[in-house]
Amino acid sequence: MIYIIDHQDSFTYNVVHQFSQFDDVYCSNYFSIDEKKLANSKIIVFSSGPGSPRDYLKTSKIYKKFKGKKKIIGICLGFQQILYCEKGLIIEQKNIYHGYQSKVKVTNKSIVFKANKAFLVGRYHSLKLKEPFQSGTIKITMRCVKTGVAMAFEDIINNVYGFQFHPESFLTVNGKYIIQKILSFK
Amino acid sequence: MKKNNYLEKLYNSNKTLIIYKVDQGYDLYTDFSEKIVLSKKNINFFLNKIKNKNSKNKFLDLYIGFFGYELLCNLINIKIPKQKNSNFSKSIFYKPETKIEIRKSINIKSNLKSYKNLFRKQTFQKTKILSPFKVNLDFMKYKKIFNMFSKKIRAGDTYQIKICTKYINKSLINPVSFFWKLMKTNASPESFMIRDHNYSIVSCSPENLINIKGNRIRTKPIAGTLRKTKKTNLNFALKFFKQNIKETKEHNMIVDMERSDLSKICKPGSVKLIKTKYVEQYKHLYHYVSSIGGILNKNIKLIEIIKAMMPGGSVIGCPKINTLKLLNNQEKYNRNIYTGSFGIIKFNLDMRFNIIIRSILNYKNKSEISVASGVVVDSTAKKEFNENYIKAKSLLDLY
Repeated sequence: MIYIIDHQDSFTYNVVHQFSQFDDVYCSNYFSIDEKKLANSKIIVFSSGPGSPRDYLKTSKIYKKFKGKKKIIGICLGFQQILYCEKGLIIEQKNIYHGYQSKVKVTNKSIVFKANKAFLVGRYHSLKLKEPFQSGTIKITMRCVKTGVAMAFEDIINNVYGFQFHPESFLTVNGKYIIQKILSFK
Repeated sequence: MKKNNYLEKLYNSNKTLIIYKVDQGYDLYTDFSEKIVLSKKNINFFLNKIKNKNSKNKFLDLYIGFFGYELLCNLINIKIPKQKNSNFSKSIFYKPETKIEIRKSINIKSNLKSYKNLFRKQTFQKTKILSPFKVNLDFMKYKKIFNMFSKKIRAGDTYQIKICTKYINKSLINPVSFFWKLMKTNASPESFMIRDHNYSIVSCSPENLINIKGNRIRTKPIAGTLRKTKKTNLNFALKFFKQNIKETKEHNMIVDMERSDLSKICKPGSVKLIKTKYVEQYKHLYHYVSSIGGILNKNIKLIEIIKAMMPGGSVIGCPKINTLKLLNNQEKYNRNIYTGSFGIIKFNLDMRFNIIIRSILNYKNKSEISVASGVVVDSTAKKEFNENYIKAKSLLDLY
């Protein structure tokens, strides 16, 4: 079962429908997490949402508790949340990408996707990861072609993945393929 | 529309009337056997009651009315802070016994034998203006809120937010004459009018929020408006919207938001874009529209549909919950009907609801016209403030 934590976003149920093509999905609000179901789930997904990672203490706790034990996937805010837990700095960016379609490219650090493969993706974020960002196990695996901003990471050792863009958006071409790849990896 | 003696008499009678625009004309409902004022306490009871009714008469087995903004917020557990409030009802629904289809000809369906008995009112209600319109937010106040919300967008607390401004005057109006005047210039597809004894509503809403037939649901959000001039045509409008990054971004956001709202109540995999980013034209303007549909989950409750879809995202901003909280804390006047929904629930559970915008509420001899426009970072306070005035103008011009 996939457990999706909804950070009260207006896109979360697109994620629910996308993931439910592959497995049973349970989705709950950030404020009413079912600890038992969470412990029994195989995969945990942190949804997108308003605000910044420091607003969601509970999600940080859940990440630290299950890191390395379950597959964890972060989308948008969820992506930032994981990087924030790994001492990454999440900062405001000059240009704001709300409802934006961009081209991203796979870097040569990726194990899941082929290097240099390009995707058209939908973005909803005003914050980004400050770089340089150093982590032993997390590799930045996709970047915006135009600005170079980090768009995805993989942590193969701990089985943790993240997307700054929205794979479930109608603006993302091949979003289903991206999720399928991540879910079936390992 | 040709003049019709019976209709003229009806308009001049003391009956409560509701008119709703349909594709080929207008449906007029009257002779209401029930009038139900809804609150958070009795709404579940009301909706469950409909679910258990049998539909025998496809023309009249329905409730027609509106959900106000505050009730819709309360249903998704959002409290409204203390605001200036005229204590207008939060939601009212009516059960009609007579329906008049106004097309090229007039077609009357009634459960009553006496529907033709009309009592002429003592005096024909004329529009009287008792004080000039005042706007509740001047530009300086508007700019302050706009800049505050721009910061919130940069910080990621909201992606888009719509500020409501209100024009209020003291007046008596004749809603029937207002409505037909408005329909001459602005017959938007979700227009409606309610004339009750103690209040009236006139709206030329263009936006459909819910259309349910059987287990199929559809929504048709509008994001993007362009005024018609002699130089514009449909192709020009489409190009304008496609090349305008601000409009495109806003529109994309609404499409993803509505997909997600539908996904709460639809079968996984069934939510699809029926038609994406096309232009509809009306007499004075073009709208940038998308149409999204899905198949409802089996045995879904009416209340769940309402909570998932309302208040309609395109007039609030995104993401819904946090944005509602932000704007409720800023707005000093209750929105009343504005950005609520008006429509029909049939006994067979088919539904049609709009988003109440471009509307006049007349209550206790006060008219209020509310308009809203979006704060997105590519915009300026001046531009959006002016756009609010443009939106209100066709209604202000009726007075």
